[in-house]
Amino acid sequence: MEEYVIQTEDLTKSYDSWFKKASRPALNKLNISIPKNCIFGFLGPNGAGKTTTIKILMGLIRPTGGKAVVLGKPYDDVESKNRIGFLPDSPAFTPTLSALEFLDVCARLLKIPSDTRKQRVEEVLEIVRMAPHAKSKIGTFSRGMLQRIGIAQAILNKPDLLILDEPLLGLDPYGRQEFKEIILAQKQQFQASVFFSSHILSDVAEICDNISILNKGKLLCAGPLDTLLSGGGEGVTVDISGTVHVRELITEADQVVKKGNEEWELFFKKPESALLSRINNLSEQFCDAVQIRKGGEDLESFFFKKIEEDNARNN
Amino acid sequence: MSEIMAIASGTWKNILRMKVVYFLIFCVWVLVGIASMYEILTIGHHKPLMMDVSLVLNAIAASLVVLSVTFEIPRELRQGVAATLLTKSLGRTQYLAGKAVGICVAGFVICALIAAGSLIIYALTFSEAIAGPMFQAHFLLIISIIPMASMAVFFATLFPEVAAPVLTIIAIWFAYSTGIIANIPVVYGGLLPNLDLFNFKSHAVYLKPIPILYMILVTVWGIAYALFLLMLTSFFFKVKDIK
Ligand SMILES: Nc1ncnc2c1ncn2[C@@H]1O[C@H](COP(=O)(O)OP(=O)(O)O)[C@@H](O)[C@H]1O
Ligand SMILES: [Mg+2]
Repeated sequence: MEEYVIQTEDLTKSYDSWFKKASRPALNKLNISIPKNCIFGFLGPNGAGKTTTIKILMGLIRPTGGKAVVLGKPYDDVESKNRIGFLPDSPAFTPTLSALEFLDVCARLLKIPSDTRKQRVEEVLEIVRMAPHAKSKIGTFSRGMLQRIGIAQAILNKPDLLILDEPLLGLDPYGRQEFKEIILAQKQQFQASVFFSSHILSDVAEICDNISILNKGKLLCAGPLDTLLSGGGEGVTVDISGTVHVRELITEADQVVKKGNEEWELFFKKPESALLSRINNLSEQFCDAVQIRKGGEDLESFFFKKIEEDNARNN
Repeated sequence: MSEIMAIASGTWKNILRMKVVYFLIFCVWVLVGIASMYEILTIGHHKPLMMDVSLVLNAIAASLVVLSVTFEIPRELRQGVAATLLTKSLGRTQYLAGKAVGICVAGFVICALIAAGSLIIYALTFSEAIAGPMFQAHFLLIISIIPMASMAVFFATLFPEVAAPVLTIIAIWFAYSTGIIANIPVVYGGLLPNLDLFNFKSHAVYLKPIPILYMILVTVWGIAYALFLLMLTSFFFKVKDIK
């Protein structure tokens, strides 16, 4: 079996038309590899090129350059779509069909055998809590309900790979929680890989193990979340407060952020073992005053830092 | 094949569920019935008039049904429904074929209802058995839906929502007239089918039978033309970026 579920090589897309050339490519030489059985968060501000990438991977639009391989097949392979679940960025389904009928059409397109089809459709409607609305016309659904039908049709075939474009948009807080659970279950129960774009950073930090950040069509960084946030591996963040005994740490930290009155956040890039054990001792002695967090920054400040660095470089 | 039928059944369900369709069928029956009142005006020719009216109205109904796909496909492409379907295990050619089959089935059902109703009204009005050529004329008219559907799918795929139906109407009108303007080579030798091949109003009215061999050949020709145009459409559709 293939080692990566998605691999791209210099993937480029420029929305040129015959009368007007685009000012910059929407996607510029993207190289990403997404390992199996992971939840991969694809981050970037609006217009970064996330949807463009996803549409290329799903064979909806053609790249102007580069290659993309999905589940070991070229991106436009029709057969391998059986193993993929896809949620588009603004889900739209045949408004005149009922939820049940539309999912039945999807199940038939996904070649789910006729003897299990009905049961599977009812099962996914149950999972996304749309069973009470199964017979209602899709045209009458709200944004959040459409998003639920969207997830339902994406997990219908128990996919090996889920590609979701902004899956948490338009959902209420309960819905977001349920969806995160559904996504996690896909990975844990069915060994699926999940690739999803989002700009809701707290959700990404919660469920992703790998991320990449895209800005203006260019990839800024990619890799496992905790490695990226700890700046390369061994970084440690320590929150300290009050007590005089811990003040000595401040002078040794690589980065100090004053969080409040008598409260600091210290970041150690590559602490030596002697220093590490001293920090550990202190945190045992003064457990209220010293708290160790694995990794470095939180995702939010990391994201802003990367985007702003990139924007500054281009100006 | 099952993918094509999945798309097709969605399409025909969509049309056959609209209540207005049955209202229009009813209106056609009423209009056909009214033709019997024109006995004086037509100096006793109200019988052929009724047959003529039923065939003309059925042809109009056929083109209206076919036109509905020129709204449906651009809308599905614009709203993203097509994107959801095409990212399943469904090739683009199969999507187009499904739409064409769906529209044909809907057209067959609607036009068959109109034909059956009109013939029954004719038989009841004149207490006369329905002659073979009348059936044959309605049958060929229903078959003409096949090439028309492929024309509608062609325009619907390549043009946006407003342009597609307008161009389809113009093309159907030209295609009906190719028999008349056959000496304009651009039209006749071009891509348009000759829909006049399916037009047998005079045979129905004057009870001239249509040879069975002709009916078979023209049906085969209609299907072949539709397949050709679908292939051509799919050639363009395959390289199209989908929203
Ligand atoms: N169909 C299109 N035609 C022209 N430009 C487009 C089209 N779709 C997207 N773009 C441009 O491509 C860039 C990336 O868009 P997109 O991939 O939708 O970003 P994201 O999903 O990250 O918000 C944007 O600058 C957008 O304006
Ligand atoms: Mg987007």
